[in-house]
Formats: sequence, structure tokens, C-alpha cells
Amino acid sequence: MYNILVVDDDKEIVNAIEIYLSQEGYHIIKAYDGEEALEKLKENEIHLIILDIMMPNKDGIETLQEIRKDKTIPVIMLSAKSEDYDKISGLNTGADDYVTKPFNPLELIARVKSNIRRYVDFNHAMVKNETKTGKVLRTGTLEMNDETKKVMVDGKEIKLTATEYNILKFLLENKGKVYSIEQIYENVWNEESYGAENIIAVHIRHIREKIEINPKDPKYLKVIWGIGYKVEDIS
Amino acid sequence: MENIKESILLKFLCYLLIPIMIFILTISIIDVSITSQYGEMKGPEEYIETEEFGREYLLTLIYNVRDIRRDKNRMQIKAESENTSETYETTEETSYDNYSEIEDESYEYPVYYEVINYNNTMISQYINYIIIDKENGNMFTNIKSNNYPEEINKLKSEKTNWSYQDGNVTTNINTINQESTKYITSPSYSIDNFEGYEVYSNIDPSTLSYSNSLYVQQTVYNIFKGHENLPTYLIPLSAISIIIMVIYLIWATGHEKGKEGIQLNSIDKISYEIITFVIIFVIGMMMSFAIASIESQIPQKILMSVFLLCYLIGYACLAVWVSTTIRRLKAKQFIRSFLTYKICRWIKVTVQKIFRKVTDKENANRKITIIYWGFVFISVILACTMWSGIGLLILIAFWIWTYYKLIQYNKKLQKINEALRNIYEGNPNVKLNEEELEGTLKIMAKYINDIAGGFTNAIEQSLKSERLKTELITNVSHDIKTPLTSIINYVDLLKKEDIQNAQIEQYIAILDKKSQRLKKLIEDLVEASKVSSGNVKLNMEIINLKELLNQTVGEFEDKLEKKNLKLEMDLPKENVMIKADNRYLYRVIENVFSNISKYALEGSRVYIQLQEQKEEVILEIKNISKDKLNISAEELMQRFVRGDKSRYTEGSGLGLSIAESLTEMQGGKFNIEIDGDLFKVVIKWKSER
Repeated sequence: MYNILVVDDDKEIVNAIEIYLSQEGYHIIKAYDGEEALEKLKENEIHLIILDIMMPNKDGIETLQEIRKDKTIPVIMLSAKSEDYDKISGLNTGADDYVTKPFNPLELIARVKSNIRRYVDFNHAMVKNETKTGKVLRTGTLEMNDETKKVMVDGKEIKLTATEYNILKFLLENKGKVYSIEQIYENVWNEESYGAENIIAVHIRHIREKIEINPKDPKYLKVIWGIGYKVEDIS
Repeated sequence: MENIKESILLKFLCYLLIPIMIFILTISIIDVSITSQYGEMKGPEEYIETEEFGREYLLTLIYNVRDIRRDKNRMQIKAESENTSETYETTEETSYDNYSEIEDESYEYPVYYEVINYNNTMISQYINYIIIDKENGNMFTNIKSNNYPEEINKLKSEKTNWSYQDGNVTTNINTINQESTKYITSPSYSIDNFEGYEVYSNIDPSTLSYSNSLYVQQTVYNIFKGHENLPTYLIPLSAISIIIMVIYLIWATGHEKGKEGIQLNSIDKISYEIITFVIIFVIGMMMSFAIASIESQIPQKILMSVFLLCYLIGYACLAVWVSTTIRRLKAKQFIRSFLTYKICRWIKVTVQKIFRKVTDKENANRKITIIYWGFVFISVILACTMWSGIGLLILIAFWIWTYYKLIQYNKKLQKINEALRNIYEGNPNVKLNEEELEGTLKIMAKYINDIAGGFTNAIEQSLKSERLKTELITNVSHDIKTPLTSIINYVDLLKKEDIQNAQIEQYIAILDKKSQRLKKLIEDLVEASKVSSGNVKLNMEIINLKELLNQTVGEFEDKLEKKNLKLEMDLPKENVMIKADNRYLYRVIENVFSNISKYALEGSRVYIQLQEQKEEVILEIKNISKDKLNISAEELMQRFVRGDKSRYTEGSGLGLSIAESLTEMQGGKFNIEIDGDLFKVVIKWKSER
């Protein structure tokens, strides 16, 4: 049983989040401003915080700064501001994830799960995996075991087709580098491409849909428009 | 008094009466003078009785005798010189100038007939004469005859005759008989002139008429004939009336009925010198005409009318002149009406104007006036010294220097022009260095700097207000998003509830759809406002449009497949490189594809053609619209307008507008063409090969 602190000045939103997350088996602790959130944090053992930015008394950013003074628990920022600037400032302050209002409940749940896994379960799993096998390709919480042909995201196994697996493997092997469709084709198939370019693009979209929580805002497999694709190198 | 002063009739009468009075006065005076000259005789009745006639008659004969004597003397002197000096030669014929010899058997000596008559006495042509030189018996005559001795007797017996023989005058003309000739002729024209000659002459009185001057006298005399005392009254009467009328006119002229002050007419506007000159000229003409007509021999009847006409014209001119002079004096316009005055005044004003312009520092032409005339003056001075050679050199140097200065000035002007062009082309970041310039240019530079500053301010202001607008929309949308979050979440929760009622499920589905649409609308609205206000930071780099198209197709593959849309791609083999911000360029292409996936006719084909033409990359995306496109491309591009003009389907209608703004922001061109159901997007970009 994990405790999740939901902080938002809008009670209905807090209640809705509670309903969704309770269904997933989490215990919810509610707070309606920053001050209250910090108090609740002291009183309870909390595994994840969902924190709204725009709040009275103490806003989300300030609260986060307080939290980060002594705690490393995952924090998902919740905001109606969708500007890049707002996202970056939230993440820079020490947030682990960022969800914009109005959010898709499923996405929020997925992000909560992912973050909890990473924070609680995955730390142990990673150690296990590493001791078990030698050849593991990894970036962030995405890992690929080339021997078992298993792909895991946040400790959860992902099912990929052979083509998808090969494409992801190539990109993961060269993580941080950008490859055009043509280069990917030539490297993965070892032959010249003949106008089959958009097939690669379709495959990559499928991969994203499988490994990313929000395929349009991917974390691992990024689209560099007009140049190519890359797997982000996350240590 | 005022009535008299302003009466036109009275003035007219005066003007009419004055010449008549002058006429009366004149003839009265003439009459008095005639009376005093002729005493009781009261003037001659017949011309033939006048002294003038006598004098003329006598003079004619004297002139003839003199000529004859002069010629005779000349011939004698010549004959003598021929005798004494052999060397002296003359070709001149020895004869009388005015006469030529004729034959007459009845007379024993030579007869000379008059061929030329130089004597211009009025009656000379009417006088018949025979003159005999007593020394040699030569006869001189203007009578044609066969028997001259007979003619002499005839002349003696005529009614009006005059003859001279040995100092004795025989005549029936009283004014020139033996006695009276002593009184009427001066010594040089006395009868002694006839010494040594015999003269026989006569005149036919019927051929004679009065001389014109005599005729005038005679006419005047006839007027007062029988009223000898009348002139004594008429002279003072007419003189006084003239004086009164003149004084009246002097007093009244210029005043008109119902008008204040002195009224000037068009004659008064003419320069005084001109009118004076013209009038003096006309009067002089008339006077000389009159005098000439008296002295000439024109018929007496015509003489009188010519005389009268001259008099009246002269009078009219004089009257006009005097009256205009008086009016000018009265209106205090006399000096001003002089042309000389006007010219002097014009010169004075012009000089003053020029002086003022030159000294007025505010005057824009001051400098150029001084410089230009200075240039001319110096040039002329130097040109005058040109003969010395050095002067020419200095002049050329001076011209070159002036040219150099002009070029420099023009350069400064060019700078200002450049600045103005910059502002005109929408680049108000202009700063002219005012210190470099002087005079008008400095002021111009200052104004231009101010204008440029004003423009920059205005642009900043408008950008600021655009930013504020965007901020407002962002903030408002934020406030909308919070309640919308709850709506979406609870609708989602409702969907998960086990509801038996199909009606309710349908309602929930509508709520779900509409809340999702509201979400999309708000997101698009924020983006559109950001993009249209230019509130977007671009990160331009060279990218491959072909790659981007393939990527986009990959993204939309399933959506297009769902609508059974077939893609017909026509891409070049080579990469197509352009300079753009890749994320925003994707947004453009994404919006177009999203538009296709929403509005293209299911089962139709979508054509994508990418070509490179010279410096340009052209991307054409064509599809067949599901709905009838009864709307222009322009309208379609406007925000919140959608192809079908209705708002019931998905999307906000902002997609194409955002795409256009983003394309233009990155330096491309975004166009929509509609041809029936064919919907065509054309994107053009500069090639970066």
C-alpha cells in the first residue's frame, strides 16, 4: 500500500484523482494548499506527491523547494500552464514529472505508476537484472536485455515485434545520436532503402506508443522533425 | 450743396459750355484785336483790297526781277573772267535759270519765257507779267503770245493791273500805288528793286480767294458785324463764366452720387506720366494741325471744320487731363499714380524684400541666396581679373572648391535620404548623427531621429499590447482549464459507472466529446494567439523536408488508414533542405495532415508532391473535401472559420490559420487553393541546397 499526497486547491480535482488512484490500490492523502501539504508530509509516510502549481498560501514551486530540502520522493507537477517555460521551471526545481491540465486520467495513472515503480520497486529490480545478465542496453528506466530479448520500461515488460525490437536496439545501442529513416533502414536491414521510408516512421510510432506514457510527448524515443530519431541518453 | 456737387448733369453742362465760352472769348478777343488794328475800317471786305494781297503781289514781281538781275550779273562776271583768264574753264551754260528763250518776230529783242517759278508766294501763279530789261531790251514773261508789244498794252488796260516805268507806278490796286508802297514795304522790298526794268502786270480777281488766316479774321469780323460793342461785354462775361465753371468742376469732380469720398475712374488708374505724355502729344498734334491748316491752302469750308475738330479734340484731352489731375490730387493719389513712383516703390520693396530675406535667419532661402549670389559675385570678380592668368587659375580653383562643397552637401543629403528610406521600408532603427550636419540638414536629421524614435516606440507599444493580449488569453485559458479538468475527469468517471439507461450513456458520450473539443479549442486558442503575436521563439536550423514528410506520414498512417485515404507520394530522390524551426514546421505539416484526416472524403486519394524548382521548394498537398467548400480560400484561412462554415465537427478551425502564421514566421509561404471539391495546400520555402 503506497501513500500518495494529492495537493490542489480545487477540491473536485483532488477528489477525482482520489477516485482514480484508489481504484488502482493507492492510499490518498489530500491537501488543499502548500502549507497543508508540508504538514501532511510530516505526519505521514508518503511515496509520491501530485502537486498543483497555482495554489493559495504557498504555491507548488515553493512547496516543492521545501520538500526537496530533505526528501527525494517523486513529485508529479500538475498545472494548467502548458508553456515549455513552465514545464522546464517545474522540472528544474526538482519535479520528476509534469502533467498539464486538463489531463487524461489514464496518463496520470500511468505516470503515477511509473514513478512509484521507479522510486520503490525498480531500484531493487535493476540491481537484480544487472547481476543476472551481462548484456543489457539501458537508458533511464528503459532497458533491453538482448539475450532474453526482453524490453522493460519502469520495470514493466513491453512486447515488441521483431522489427520494432531491431529498430529500438539499433537506436539504444547508439543512444543520444540522431539517425535518419534512411540510416535506420540501412543499418537495421543492411540494405538500401527503396522508398520504404514511411514504414520505418510507422514502426517508430508503434514503438513509441508501446514504451511511452504519452507518445506525443515521448521521454525515451524522441522525434527530431526533419532530421531523424534518437533514443534519449538518460543516466 | 451735396446735390450740386454730385450732379452729373451739371458737370456735363459745364464740360459742354466751357469750350463754347472759350470759343466766344477767343473770337471776341480776335475781334477786338482786329478792330484795334484796322481802326474804323473795321477789317477788309475783299481780299484784293487788303494789304496782304498788295504785299504778296508786289513781292511776286520783286522776286522775279531779282532773279533776272542775279542771273544777268552772273553772266557778266563769267564773260569777264573768260576774257581775263584763259585757264578758267566752265561748262555752265550762260542763260537765265528760270527762263528759256523763245522766238517772236514782233519784238526786236530776245524774249524769255518763264519755265520755272521758284517764288512761292500764294498768288504768283495768278499774276501775268512782262518785265523788260531797259539796258538790253530783253523781255521776260509768263504769257504766251505772238505779239508781245500788243500784250503790254493789254496788261495796262486790264482791271487789276500794276506797272512800273522809270520809277513811276501806275496801278488801280490802292494798297500798292505810288504812295502806299512807301508804307507797306520794308526798304529791301521797295519799288527801288525795279530800277532799270519796266514791269507790266495784272491779275484776274476772280481767280483769287482769301488766304485762310484772312478768312478766319474775316469770319470773326462778320460775326460781330453790326454789333461792334458785343465783344466788350462778351469778354468779361465768358471769362467769368469760364472761371466759375472751372472752379465748380475743380470743386465737384470726383464726387459721385451716393458714394463717399473721391471716386476714381479707369483713366485715373493710368500712370500719370503716360496720360500726360499722351495728352500733350494729342494736344500738340491738334495745335500743329490747326496752325498748318490755316497756313495751307485747303478749302476754307473744310478748314473751319478741321479747325473746330482740332479744337474740340484738344479741349477734350485737356479737360480729361485736368480733371484726372484734380481727382488724383484730391484722392491723394497724385504722386502714387506716377509710373516713376511705382517703379521706385517696386525697386524699394524688392530691395527691402531681398534684404529682409537675406537678414532673416528663419528664412530657408537665406543661406542659398547668400551662397549662390556670393558664388556669382566672386565668379564675376575673378572673371574680370582673368586676363592676368593667375585670376583664371583662382577662378577654376574656386569652381572646383564649390563643386566639392556641393558634392559634400549632397552626400549628407543622401544620408538623410537613406534614413528616410529605412523608415519607409519599416526599419525605424535609424539614428543620424546630428553633430555631423549643420543648418537645415541638422534640423532635418533631428526630425528624422524623432520620427524614427516615435516609430520604434509605436512598434514596441503594439508588440507590447499584442503580448498583453496573449498573456490575457493564456491567463483566461488557465482559469478555464481548471474547471474543465474536473468536467473531463468526472465525465470519465461517469463513463466507468455501470449505467443501465442507454439514454444516459448517450448523454455522457456527448459530454465526453464536447469536453474534449473544448479542451482542444482552448489549446489552439492559446497557440494561435501566441503565434499571431509573434510570441514564439524560433530555433532555425537546416532540416530535410523530405524526412519530415516521411515522419509525418508515419505519424498519421493509422488515422489516414482509418478513413481509407490513400497517399500518393511524389518525393524527389535527393534530400530537400530548408531552413526552419523543425518543431514548428512539423506543427504546420501536422495541421495540414490533421485537416486532411478530418475533412477529406473517405476512400479518396491524397496527393503529396514535393519539388525543388531553382531556389524554391514547393510542397503541394491535395485532397478531395468531404463537404462542399462553399467558401473562399481567404475566408478559410481566417481564424475560427472552417471549410463547412458549421461548427459541429471536430477541430477548432484554427489549424490552418496557425499553420499559415507559423510558415510565414519561418520565412515560408502558405497558400490554400480551392477548386470545386479539390482542396490544395501549397507551401513554398527557400531552398538551402
